[in-house]
Amino acid sequence: MKKDPLIIAFCCNWCSYAAADLAGVSRLQYPGSIRIIRVMCSGMVHPDMVLHALQKGADGVIIAGCHLGECHYIRGNEIALARAEILVETLEDLGWESDRLQIVHVSSSESERLVQAFCDMHKRLEALDQTDFAAVEADE
Amino acid sequence: MKGRRRPRLSFVWLQACSGCEISLLNSGERLPDLLNKVEIVYFPLLMDRKCGGEGEFDLPEADVGFVSGSVSSDEHLTLLYALRRRCRTLVSFGTCATHGGIPALRNRWSAEATLETVFPGTPGQPTLPAEVPALLDRVYSVDEKVRVDFCLPGCPPHPETIAAVIETLVTGEQPRLPGKSVCETCPTIRTGEMHRTVRRFLNNAEYNSEEPVERMRCLLEQGLLCMGPVTVGGCGGPATPLCVQARVPCRGCYGPVRSEGNQLLDMLNVLASHGVDHRSIVDRQSLLRFSGAHGLLRSVRKTEGVVLMSEKGNKKSS
Ligand code: SF4
Ligand code: SF4
Ligand code: SF4
Repeated sequence: MKKDPLIIAFCCNWCSYAAADLAGVSRLQYPGSIRIIRVMCSGMVHPDMVLHALQKGADGVIIAGCHLGECHYIRGNEIALARAEILVETLEDLGWESDRLQIVHVSSSESERLVQAFCDMHKRLEALDQTDFAAVEADE
Repeated sequence: MKGRRRPRLSFVWLQACSGCEISLLNSGERLPDLLNKVEIVYFPLLMDRKCGGEGEFDLPEADVGFVSGSVSSDEHLTLLYALRRRCRTLVSFGTCATHGGIPALRNRWSAEATLETVFPGTPGQPTLPAEVPALLDRVYSVDEKVRVDFCLPGCPPHPETIAAVIETLVTGEQPRLPGKSVCETCPTIRTGEMHRTVRRFLNNAEYNSEEPVERMRCLLEQGLLCMGPVTVGGCGGPATPLCVQARVPCRGCYGPVRSEGNQLLDMLNVLASHGVDHRSIVDRQSLLRFSGAHGLLRSVRKTEGVVLMSEKGNKKSS
């Protein structure tokens, strides 16, 4: 059996981290293998950081920021989105499935939305890794 | 260095093109001087000295070992281990050794796929000639396999730089190399106005050949894919970067600015933050043509086409 998929979630300080906080105090359930890293803005997550996470063993990466137009730093999440677009394509050039990256926009009150994103990605990665596993076995 | 003994240098190449060694020989008037100061104990390009093979290498002992080329086969690995044991200071010499270089382009395919392409036999069973050593699963840079004391990037490194590095190393000191990007020493005119797309280099850049390069507009701003911002400088010494001198864009041959940087991602990041359409780049993968080791270029998974295509329509066959 493959281990629980490990997900690194970069959450921006102003919206999504607050949402994660709220999810905590509201006792919403989500997979325990998610590691949240608080960043000041989703726009500061350099593509190298995403790749680094994958290379060091993360199965997936979530970048969570405020809704477009509501960035504390005005355009940070738009930059994050532009970078995510690049990443989705480039990850595949580099041999990673693009499904391993997701970007979500949540406001500080939308803890359910964040938890939903966590769960969705977790499920998707499980399916992905199982396919991998089956393919390797069939190969041998 | 102790006594009267001259410092001993050993040069070993793995998967290499000998360009790095030729570059050293190109260092002009500095070379005879240098050769007077050191003793070269092993250098396949220059001297005939057999050190075994067949799984064991008996290299002479050296103070400084230079290794060029990437680590691609079992034999390279044995040779590299032998060199590491036999020299005090190990220098990875050239971009193949520091970042995988051109050989690491094969990391986009599995070792089996590579063998099937190069030695086609019956499908799934490449006919590997007996004298070809077994390939490693991928191409590694030297520092992924052994401890390296000094990295000297460049494809090939500038002759003057090599000579200066050797001169410093044999005195027992650590040389210093530039840590900033190619753009840092580029004298072209930058206005901050970028082309919205990246154009193919089918026509020359715009410049007036009567005028010095200082009067030419930055090539990246002209819409050419110049890798200057994400490539470590030093190729032109203190002068203009070599390719820009020739009025062509930098292709990134010195490897990333930070040694763990990813030239492809970093370059796309540069373009994205300037609002340039990265989809206009024709062959994106080739932005890693010099630095695909360290696991940056990976072979496409076996499951490709099964998992992803269902959900996203943007899968390309690469
Ligand atoms: S770094 Fe360049 S010059 Fe040196 S061995 Fe590799 S390909 Fe040849
Ligand atoms: S992008 Fe290229 S042409 Fe422009 S400053 Fe940098 S090295 Fe020079
Ligand atoms: S300009 Fe770039 S590609 Fe050309 S020699 Fe210098 S580092 Fe290499």
